[in-house]
Amino acid sequence: MKEGGQERNIIVETVARVMIPFIQLFALYVIIHGAGGPGGGFQGGVVFASALILMVITFNLAGGRKRFPESINTLLSSLGIYIYGGIGLLALFFSLGAAQYLNYGFIPFTTLFEENRALAMDFVEIGIGVTVMAIITSIFFDLAQKERSGKKEEEGSSSWNGSLQKSLQNTTTGSSSSS
Amino acid sequence: MKRLRAIAFILIFLLSGLFIYVAEDIPPLGDPMAPPIKSVKLFSMKMEQIVPLLNQGRIPRELSKELVKRGLPLPSHIEKIPGVKGEWDAFITKEEPHYAKEEKYYWIKQKGGEVEVSRYAFVVRWIEKGLKETAVPNMVTYGLADYRGYDTLGETTVIFTAGVSVILLLRRRSRL
Repeated sequence: MKEGGQERNIIVETVARVMIPFIQLFALYVIIHGAGGPGGGFQGGVVFASALILMVITFNLAGGRKRFPESINTLLSSLGIYIYGGIGLLALFFSLGAAQYLNYGFIPFTTLFEENRALAMDFVEIGIGVTVMAIITSIFFDLAQKERSGKKEEEGSSSWNGSLQKSLQNTTTGSSSSS
Repeated sequence: MKRLRAIAFILIFLLSGLFIYVAEDIPPLGDPMAPPIKSVKLFSMKMEQIVPLLNQGRIPRELSKELVKRGLPLPSHIEKIPGVKGEWDAFITKEEPHYAKEEKYYWIKQKGGEVEVSRYAFVVRWIEKGLKETAVPNMVTYGLADYRGYDTLGETTVIFTAGVSVILLLRRRSRL
């Protein structure tokens, strides 16, 4: 029952199922609220990543990777910096030759210079949050997968995916046979 | 071994110096009445002829001569701080798009028999004009994302680099 850390704990699963949406909502609140109060991109991104990590710890690694695949993870981790640098480049273009990189006031969201700065700051915070979330999740997945693949390589399997599927099959068959 | 010991000694010395430098700013350990660092003292001058000119809002010739001698920018005009006796603000001209062309730069204070000239730190502008300039009420956010935008872009890039290096070191034979 306990092999491979695949023990089902009904209390942890229920609590996580209830809490994860609220943690994610709180993370979005922290990111958006960064301009008006305490909060910001770094903190919100970390809270969002912690929700994903809680999901992966509670349920299993393969299920977590299915919901948040590697391709999307890699895309998001660079997308945040692209948003940030893109806002800076927009300011560069709209300043019309004054070369005001990252001077957000020149981007014409509204007619007021100061309001433009406030709005672009929100977009920048969103960019930071996306990058931090994706990178922390990616680091977590890489560390967790490394341990597993090392364990399975002793048995001589070739790829990580195959080994994980094998291990999952083993655990499911083992649990069914034992129960 | 001897060299290691010497290096360790030097490091301990430097670290203790750093600790004292930092601990002085903690209120229970340092001076509890210390004001926040809002200005840096530059020099002080004799006051007899200067004060009436300063009260009229004109720039005394002695003051500008002293500033030129020290390589500091000349003030464009001088204002009395309302409500305080014997303190003046001196403004300099600057070139920034979309904002007022004058910025508060020197803080002139009557002290004993002399007039003390200080330079305002950037924090003063940050605190006093941040909300007006960026329309964001959170001082930390407009500092982080606007005034120090380059810094934050670099921080985000550092986090991205950390993630990429973890991918390069630990991820094996999986599709990217």
